Amino acid sequence: MSTTDTQAPAADQPEAAEEKPNFMRLFGRYLTEANSVMVTIYSLLLAFLIGAILLIVSDEYVRSTYTYFFARPQDALTASWYLVRDSYIALFEGAILNLNMLDRFAAGNAEFGDLLRPLSETLTYATPLIFTGLAVGLAFRAGLFNIGAQGQMIFGMLGALIIGFGLSLPAVIHLPLAIIAGAIAGAAFGAVPGLLKATTGAHEVISSIMLNNIAALFLVWAIGTDFLHSETKTDLITKPVDETAVMPKLLSGLSESLRVNWALPLGILAAVFTWWLLSRSTFGFRIRAVGFNEHASATAGMRIGSTYTTTMAVAGGLAGLAGAALSLGVGSAGLTTNTALEYGFDGITVALLGRANPGGIVAAALLFGALKAGALSAQPDVPVDISTLLQAIIVLFIAAPALVKAILHLRTPRGGLVTLEAKGW
Amino acid sequence: MRLELKGLTKKFGSFTADDDIDLVVEPGQIHAVLGENGAGKSTLMNMLYGILTPTSGEILIDGEPVSFSGPGDAIAAGIGMVHQHFKLVGPFSVADNVQLGREHTQRLGVLSAKAARKAVLDVSEEYGLKLDPDAICEDLPVGVQQRVEIVKALSGPKTELLILDEPTAVLTPAEITELLQIMRNLADAGTSILFISHKLKEVQAVADTVTVIRRGKVVAELEPTASEAEMASAMVGRAVTLQVDKTPAEPGEARLEVTGLTVVSDAGVKVLNGLDLTVHSGEIVGLAGVEGNGQTELARSILGLVKPDSGRIAIDGEDVHGASPAARIAAGLGYIPEDRGRDGVVAEFSVAENIVLNQYRDAPFAKRGAVNAGAVRKRAADSIAEFDIRTQSPEEPVSALSGGNAQKVIIAREFSRPRRFLVAAQPTRGVDVGASQFIHSRLVAERDTGTAVLLISSELDEIYALADRIAVIYNGQIVGEVAPDTPREVIGRLMVGGGIHDGAAAASPEEPGAPEPPAAEEAPEPPAADETSNDEDANGGDR
Amino acid sequence: MAVKPFKMALAGFSAVGLAALAACGEAPSENGSGDNADASFLACMVTDSGGVDDKSFNESSWAGMEAAAEENSDIKVELKESSSETDYDPNLQATVDDGCNFIVGVGGLMTENVNAVATENPDIAFATVDGFSEVENVYSIQFDTAQSAFLAGYVAASQTKTGTVATWGGIQIPPVTIFMDGFAEGIKKHNEDKGTDVQLLGWDVEAQTGTFVNTFEDAAAGKSTSDTFITQGADILFPVAGPAGIGALTAASENEDVTAIWVDTDGYESTEYGAELITSAEKGLETALKDSVLAAYDAANGGEAITGSYVGTLANGGVSLAPFHDFDAAVSDETKAELDALTQQIIDGTLVVESAASPKAQ
Repeated sequence: MSTTDTQAPAADQPEAAEEKPNFMRLFGRYLTEANSVMVTIYSLLLAFLIGAILLIVSDEYVRSTYTYFFARPQDALTASWYLVRDSYIALFEGAILNLNMLDRFAAGNAEFGDLLRPLSETLTYATPLIFTGLAVGLAFRAGLFNIGAQGQMIFGMLGALIIGFGLSLPAVIHLPLAIIAGAIAGAAFGAVPGLLKATTGAHEVISSIMLNNIAALFLVWAIGTDFLHSETKTDLITKPVDETAVMPKLLSGLSESLRVNWALPLGILAAVFTWWLLSRSTFGFRIRAVGFNEHASATAGMRIGSTYTTTMAVAGGLAGLAGAALSLGVGSAGLTTNTALEYGFDGITVALLGRANPGGIVAAALLFGALKAGALSAQPDVPVDISTLLQAIIVLFIAAPALVKAILHLRTPRGGLVTLEAKGW
Repeated sequence: MRLELKGLTKKFGSFTADDDIDLVVEPGQIHAVLGENGAGKSTLMNMLYGILTPTSGEILIDGEPVSFSGPGDAIAAGIGMVHQHFKLVGPFSVADNVQLGREHTQRLGVLSAKAARKAVLDVSEEYGLKLDPDAICEDLPVGVQQRVEIVKALSGPKTELLILDEPTAVLTPAEITELLQIMRNLADAGTSILFISHKLKEVQAVADTVTVIRRGKVVAELEPTASEAEMASAMVGRAVTLQVDKTPAEPGEARLEVTGLTVVSDAGVKVLNGLDLTVHSGEIVGLAGVEGNGQTELARSILGLVKPDSGRIAIDGEDVHGASPAARIAAGLGYIPEDRGRDGVVAEFSVAENIVLNQYRDAPFAKRGAVNAGAVRKRAADSIAEFDIRTQSPEEPVSALSGGNAQKVIIAREFSRPRRFLVAAQPTRGVDVGASQFIHSRLVAERDTGTAVLLISSELDEIYALADRIAVIYNGQIVGEVAPDTPREVIGRLMVGGGIHDGAAAASPEEPGAPEPPAAEEAPEPPAADETSNDEDANGGDR
Repeated sequence: MAVKPFKMALAGFSAVGLAALAACGEAPSENGSGDNADASFLACMVTDSGGVDDKSFNESSWAGMEAAAEENSDIKVELKESSSETDYDPNLQATVDDGCNFIVGVGGLMTENVNAVATENPDIAFATVDGFSEVENVYSIQFDTAQSAFLAGYVAASQTKTGTVATWGGIQIPPVTIFMDGFAEGIKKHNEDKGTDVQLLGWDVEAQTGTFVNTFEDAAAGKSTSDTFITQGADILFPVAGPAGIGALTAASENEDVTAIWVDTDGYESTEYGAELITSAEKGLETALKDSVLAAYDAANGGEAITGSYVGTLANGGVSLAPFHDFDAAVSDETKAELDALTQQIIDGTLVVESAASPKAQ
């Protein structure tokens, strides 16, 4: 991904050099400007606004109040207001703090750990997204569109699982080994589209889409094999990983129901590593150079093909860690064809929202994790699809800042609108 | 049509691209607008063609003010434009390209191939522009493609004014001669022509009147009889000498030896055909030739980006076969690529990052896999001072620099590390005069330290100014190696495939300027111009 | 999964249009909404990863829950959907936090999660559908669908003209393979008793391997699988794949001589392809769920606690063969009589239909 500066029309250029800027004025100017921070914030707000409208129209009762809107408008308005308010409160309660539980805690009927459960769920769902978001974001910076995070994650899942149940080792060795196995499996699978691009010119989008399908079907087959298939269940589920390879829960001291585990700090670590890799390392220098201009990079002696392959391998390794986090964490009781969900594809939107920036990716993953945890908990009062819907609308706005600018009549910032552009296409 | 511009001004933010331009094109007149790259010529034409809206000022056609909100308006008003970069749909036929945007249709919108062909033939006949309406555009030589563009522009409902934006940039000398003739014919037939160029000789040859613009302002109105020196000094604002002070070369041992180098393109064309060339330490060898005769492939083969199909390249006596570009760079190969934006700089990267682009992994810029930002910054600061790179800061992206300063970034990169052999391809292309002089003197100084320099340039003047020895490339072969005092006529003949002593050689039937024509295809329109008359234009391949 | 928000949005937008048209309607008199808002008993259900609109056991289970609420206005029902097994724990926990009195986990894979939550919350009644639990406050609801599928297989063997019938599954999981086992056994029985040689494509009982489309959603995949079987000579299709099974019915409707047998529900009622369906191997989930919710309500109001397990069989009507509907005339009286006899033998226990996926611990 690169950030492209669209030439700002001259008429919109602020000509305020003479005015004496004070802080409030500058701040106000910033707020009404379509810069990338404000576009992100406004995208979120607009998404929640549109989400509210969809909530209203998809609720049968509230909808019914609109049938007699002109006869008694207060019905429709209050019903809509309560629905939207309650829905978003429910999302908040599921993602951050359950107010009901807070009352019970105050009354002595709940433990402190119960209060943390929504946050724990948010972090649990965010963790794989951090990894897959990084996997997509890193590749973006090399000008590669890694659609294949899903497949790489699936292989990471299987790699970690095999070590997780296949070996008997003490936990200090077993767990790290299983995690590394996940990363290696993901890296190996991720390197394939990079290698194909480097050697044959095959477009990584096409090859990684196909590899996703291969991985998904391979998973179905692999789960059914005697080697992986559960010995106790006839369902399509694998053996569980050994106790020694399970990611310890972070807060089991407070409550066993807090599922957040050590994969989260691992994810933060991966984000820091990715940041270092991109902005401080010589390899990152090469990734960015190739991502911006492969011709100039080649002329400067960089090997483009090996950069693609290595970058895709590292990206695949990150996605593989997402798989390991699932295999050894929430999915440690056994993997099914559903365990991977669509974390790999969601990683694309996370990377877009985070603007391929490790810090932004972590923030975006937390937001999406919160939406997912909130929506799951807010059932059945709020349709569970609301989280996917909100995610989609947010990314739509992020991808089309001109839309946000037009809707809110924002001013064009100095450098022009920042449009995300996946160079891979 | 009489076109008049009154006080036309275009501002981009605080930058004024065109400032109060006044200009009159009389009917049937060829009016040349002369100016360096970045003088504001293209902005002016884009306003005329409705692509840009003027900030102030007005355009009058036959005395009536007009305002264009898009090219469609301009076309409707009778203005046709031939862009510097052709806007043709490659796989379409000539007829289809000409009717693009105003298709001939029968009832129910069905395309009428017959009407389209007839329209092409009518225009070709009227103006004497020979074209096969059924030929596929991408198969045609560049000169013929341009003819398609001209016919397309003339096919407008009532085209009376033709804008030609640097039309000779991509043409061979023979094609240029032909184009100038076409322009003359069109003007005689009553079409007004606005001719944008920075090539003095062409302007002298064809224009009725010349307007020189510099930094967005009209600085001179000249007659075509004005001398080249007069035009040039108006263009650049001071008297230019392309003379570079240098002492005679003292060639030493051979640093680059190319023998029998052959490169076959993907399309199966031998773009280099058994080329032999030697460059010694302490000399500048100027490689003259019309672009597209193998210069690009030669430079890229020396760097190692193109794998030769046969032949040998030795640097410092060692065969570099199999060595990666990185290894050759590390061994002291300096490389200034011809296409700066594409191959020279990473535009989004900072000046500092670009300065270390091919050394980022070497000490002191890298330490245990990490980039040593301090060392990079220091090198950047040193280079900015030494090479006079005009930038706000080392952190500024190169995209914000002018072409000349971006080129200086490349020069700084290549000249700030140990080097034994330098390939400089079009080192001053699109660079302002001041920077050009600087680069030229650096190249000579480089030679004087004992580096072997291969200068690849399509500007004959540049070759004359710098080279200690001139090699002429044609069709992938060195067709002559001559002393730097060899007359232009001789080199001009060599550049189009004639012999050194071949006084009146006709141009080869092959089209050197055409990029990789399919092997089996004969170029349909062999230019039949008399070469001796246009040797002066032999440097016409630059832009 | 991905299409759902779109559906929601579409429904929403079309609803806006309708509402706008109707916005001039009259205001109703004030009254409460009719969904048992003040009910004292909250029965909750967590779906497995298929979601509630799976046209299969989640949907049938939920229908049973709603039927119970309909019958007893003091019961309120609540639904939580899962998109993968990693959602089971939080969903079950959320039902506990919501104060549910009776919690149903659908799908054998959820049994362990249900057990864990049930052990933590011994005062709440739980149930697991298609799974067996030994935890005291977990009620197991299982179905021996091999029995109804056995009868379906027998009918298929009697009706085939080509001597070849085919079955295929969605995903290879016990609730699917048990149908395929029973179907195969029914054909075998017909071959033995009547001296026929009807071949079954798509499932090998011995090896427990067969044809699966690996989805419950993709009807197009089901159609292409069915087309393949038809070209191999099969004239009766037995898809065990939820909505993906519709693909078999479209294939049947495009081939005059090909018919099909549906599973779970009476396809004559629940699909648009009644004319293609000889019969259906029904699984009485709806009734079983309804009954268990009502029983749990009674237990909470002083009645006997529900515990142990329920296995739906031909004997208790938990599984059954649906009516022949349009094919009533086509199925001979002889076959009908034989089916009645076989049903009786299974009820008696003189005939046992075996499947690797049969409910455990009957």
